[in-house]
Amino acid sequence: MPENRDPVVHLDRQFWIVTAVLGVLALISIFWWVWAPITSIMPEAVDKAQQIDALFRFLAASGTALFIFICGYILYFSLAFRRHAGTPENAVGIQIHDNNKLEFWWTLAPTVFVVIMAIFSLRIWYGIEVAPSNTLVVEAIGHQWYYTFRYPNVNGEVKEMHLPLGQAVTLHVTSSDVIHSFWIPAMRLKADMVPGLINTFEFTPTRQGRYEIICTEFCGLNHGLMHSGTTVNPAYVYIDPPARYASWYARTEREQIHASNAIEAASTSELKLNGGEPRDGAKLFAAKCSACHAAGPFDQKIVGPGLRGVLDDPAHPNLVDGDKATPENVAKILQNGFKGSMGQMPNQAANGLSNKDIVNLVAYLKTLK
Amino acid sequence: MTAVAAHAGGGLADHIHPEPQGFIRKYVFSIDHKIIGIQYMITAFLFMILGGMLAELIRVQLMKASGGLMTPETYNEVYSVHGSTMVWLVIIPLLTGGFGNLIFPVQIGARDVAFPWLNMLSFWLFPPAGLMLYASFLMGAPTAGWTEYPPMSLNAYGAHDGTSMWAAAIFLIGVSSTMTGINFLVTILKMRAPGMTFTRMPLFVWGQFVTAPLLMIATTALGAALAALFVQRQFGVAFFDPTRGGSPLLWQHMFWFYSHPAVYIMILPAFGMISEILPTFSRKPIFGYKMIAFSSCAIAILGFMVWAHHMFTSGLAPALQLPFMVLTMLIAIPTGVKIFSWVTTLWGGVIHMTTAMLFAIGFLATFTLGGITGVFLAAVPFDLHAHGTYFIVAHLHYVLVGGSLMGILAGLFYWYPKMSGRLMNEKLGKWAFWLFFIGFNGTFLPMHWLGMWGQPRRVAVYDPQFQAWNQVASWFSFVMTAALILVLFNALWSMRNGKRSGPNPWNARTLEWQIPSPMPYYNFKHVPSVFAAPYDFAEPLPYRGLEEELT
Amino acid sequence: MAVASVTHGAYAGVMSEEPDQLYVETRELRIQGFLLFMVSDLVLFSSFIFAYLYLRNSGQGWPAGGPKLDIALAAVNSIVLFGSGATMHFALENWKHRNFTKFANWIVMTIILGAGFLSGQVLEYIHIGARWSSGIFGASFYTLTGMHGLHVFAGIIYLTVLLLQAAQGKYTFTKYTGLTLGTLYWHFVDVIWVVLFSIFYLL
Repeated sequence: MPENRDPVVHLDRQFWIVTAVLGVLALISIFWWVWAPITSIMPEAVDKAQQIDALFRFLAASGTALFIFICGYILYFSLAFRRHAGTPENAVGIQIHDNNKLEFWWTLAPTVFVVIMAIFSLRIWYGIEVAPSNTLVVEAIGHQWYYTFRYPNVNGEVKEMHLPLGQAVTLHVTSSDVIHSFWIPAMRLKADMVPGLINTFEFTPTRQGRYEIICTEFCGLNHGLMHSGTTVNPAYVYIDPPARYASWYARTEREQIHASNAIEAASTSELKLNGGEPRDGAKLFAAKCSACHAAGPFDQKIVGPGLRGVLDDPAHPNLVDGDKATPENVAKILQNGFKGSMGQMPNQAANGLSNKDIVNLVAYLKTLK
Repeated sequence: MTAVAAHAGGGLADHIHPEPQGFIRKYVFSIDHKIIGIQYMITAFLFMILGGMLAELIRVQLMKASGGLMTPETYNEVYSVHGSTMVWLVIIPLLTGGFGNLIFPVQIGARDVAFPWLNMLSFWLFPPAGLMLYASFLMGAPTAGWTEYPPMSLNAYGAHDGTSMWAAAIFLIGVSSTMTGINFLVTILKMRAPGMTFTRMPLFVWGQFVTAPLLMIATTALGAALAALFVQRQFGVAFFDPTRGGSPLLWQHMFWFYSHPAVYIMILPAFGMISEILPTFSRKPIFGYKMIAFSSCAIAILGFMVWAHHMFTSGLAPALQLPFMVLTMLIAIPTGVKIFSWVTTLWGGVIHMTTAMLFAIGFLATFTLGGITGVFLAAVPFDLHAHGTYFIVAHLHYVLVGGSLMGILAGLFYWYPKMSGRLMNEKLGKWAFWLFFIGFNGTFLPMHWLGMWGQPRRVAVYDPQFQAWNQVASWFSFVMTAALILVLFNALWSMRNGKRSGPNPWNARTLEWQIPSPMPYYNFKHVPSVFAAPYDFAEPLPYRGLEEELT
Repeated sequence: MAVASVTHGAYAGVMSEEPDQLYVETRELRIQGFLLFMVSDLVLFSSFIFAYLYLRNSGQGWPAGGPKLDIALAAVNSIVLFGSGATMHFALENWKHRNFTKFANWIVMTIILGAGFLSGQVLEYIHIGARWSSGIFGASFYTLTGMHGLHVFAGIIYLTVLLLQAAQGKYTFTKYTGLTLGTLYWHFVDVIWVVLFSIFYLL
């Protein structure tokens, strides 16, 4: 390459005026972001939310300032150095190749920015990952397409999430079927609910109220309904004062024991399995069972086996729990559920079937020959 | 592996394969890199029309919070195929197979790529793969997005049979990409004209040079993931099914190990195009040539070490999150250096505001925004909020549409004469640019706050409080579509009616402009020798041996 | 392929012409392209090796007490495969020393050893008795060794074709890029086996 001597660069007054204007605009935007009314749109419901918002303000302010400078210069250069009508066709620009000093500074600047950002993020991240002691441990479970929750000493899964104000919480999330996500915008926190895996995060609720839970990981047909806006299973977390939380907890504990007793009672008491309506059963099957069971032969597996001839199949005389394939034993599985190697068959509390539904379903299964 | 057929004596540089006769050999099963490049472009633009129609279906559906145009099932198919189309059938083929094939062999002074037959094979895997992807609609198209996370991509959880077809189609595309990568890499390493050292290569060649290993390595990893998904679905091999001991997260690792480098496959060649167009129309050497070239290498290398930043919410071990976060942030440095260099290239120039230049400048502005939001997302605490929302949709469209596609459109206006011998209509082109720029920003800018406020991505229905901004996005998306139709119309119209361009309408200095337009079969009558980088506009051209090219 | 003008004869490879510039450059291109192809093939194996290690460490259902592998059989099998690497090496060396008969003998030996390795693998599959679809062990073991087996099988066909081409005079004693590539491929398959053997039988 021939030695091209770069010309000495003079930045004129116009350049500095533009720079000053951009600087002012950048400052304004920085101030705007520092005091932006983020919480009026999205309240900060937990301690971590305030820290994450601080990071957000920092990122948004520096990002906007950078963007203003870059776009400002692009616009200014494009206009100021535009070829004018009279410029000869072969006119060339300033033949400058490099400027070591400039390049050094503009490599250093993003490096410093990245270091600050990394340290800032690390400190917050550390707070999210590391658990204080004496936390309330709650488990959230994703289903297609609703959430359930488990509390210490409460039987089964409950459909509402309540948290006491000011009490540190450890939240475990997992899923019973596909990957869901558990996001509470007011907490600025999110974790995917992965089947077979438990993800954990920590926070302390700091603001009373009712906040939306949203699923952000695609989970099937009704993914778009997996938030509070749906009328089917609106998903909320309630942050209550400790006293109100305690009474909710006590009530739930009682109800859940009662519910499981009722199921126990129902399963021991003989259901009247005659007189079911197969047509209603068919509808229920399509809505509730067909995700995992085909109406085809045994080998047609989805999650569980195909159910054609389940009550009359010489090759498979026994059900998955080892009992003989009779209508009564099928009804028992529908009530109590079964956890096997292939997956989990939900019980009556989870599948939401009434006793009458079960009678209808058994009547339908009898027709599958 | 085939090589050129023997014909003349001497080394490869003097070696000329005979020009084929007949329509089929010349235009269908051609082994000429320029024809193959144009074939790639035509095919990819056809798929862009299909993918664009799917995009508009999405925007029409989202005009109402309750949806209404399509059932959620159809909607899921539509956005999944839209994403797959745009990534694998439009952006990647256009940037590598299309513009790559057409331009870079000429820019290094070669007469063809290293393995012309392999090149033809690469192309001919592409249309069938695309048709396979669309044929999956017949058996129920994939529904779990272009990422197809299991378990959602397994039939037991509601996926359609077409998901296997999807995997097979993308696998084919992957084979094609891998072969293209090998071909390009060998070509650039071995077939440069005398004197074309690495620091004299045009920056578009640098773009292809760093992209080729990504194509070669990352795409094979994707092939493995797709093969595993395919056998999981068809033969019940337990890679990903959690009920059988498999791990859904394994797919995410395998998929993103490809798909993050793929992001750079989709942007590095566009960086190269911008680096050609900005100096040409500013009549200035590119500022910081070496920094731009080396920063591309840094981005490519770092690109392999950051895949898990897509998985910050998935349940990655905390000890792994940290290095991935820091490495991801590091990418901001070389990218920043590039942007600063481009902006400085404009300073002190004599700027010819052609359509190509407008698109290049538009690229600078929109890509900068996409890059900045990318840095935000690298910060784990920020990502915990934004992951899986419309903020991600906004970010990825700012880099893929505002970045890659803007670069492609700039390149189309810039290199069109080299394909057709004619210029595209500038007046229509400028209209298209402004419509595109306004339409694009109007569509995707609101998605940033929609996501921050709580609209998840991949939803067929959403919270009614977001309806107003979604309608804004939809209306602007129609403007953007109109602009793209205008560009395609312009390209078709100019083929016959455009102004004749002559060999070098832009006064550009790289080698492709020193030979006739359209470029002749052998590219060069005599292979030139090179004695400097191509961007010194005040100097005579740094080539010898080109005297007879235009005679 | 700079095809020599020789087209017939039992083995006409003896007719050597001096390599010209075009041949030398094309050979370089082809070897480089082939090396890159092997790199991407290596990535394919690496991806599945990653999948195997990942599933073994975090998936559920790895056979208790380890899978039922026959390490003695596999060791014998490995020796057979490495032996075939050596015979392939001798084959190419003999070609370079312009001895077609010895070349042909060694390459036939290589093919036989390769087939022996495949038979050994079939025995091992029968011994293990698991199915491809039975759990994560079946998934990772059969996929990886199956892919490797397919590579060996393809290699046997590849070498057979090379032998036939050589017999028909497609290569000369000075121009034999195809044979070099075949040897590279065979060694590559050997190296992959070293890795697979280590991770499945020794780890």
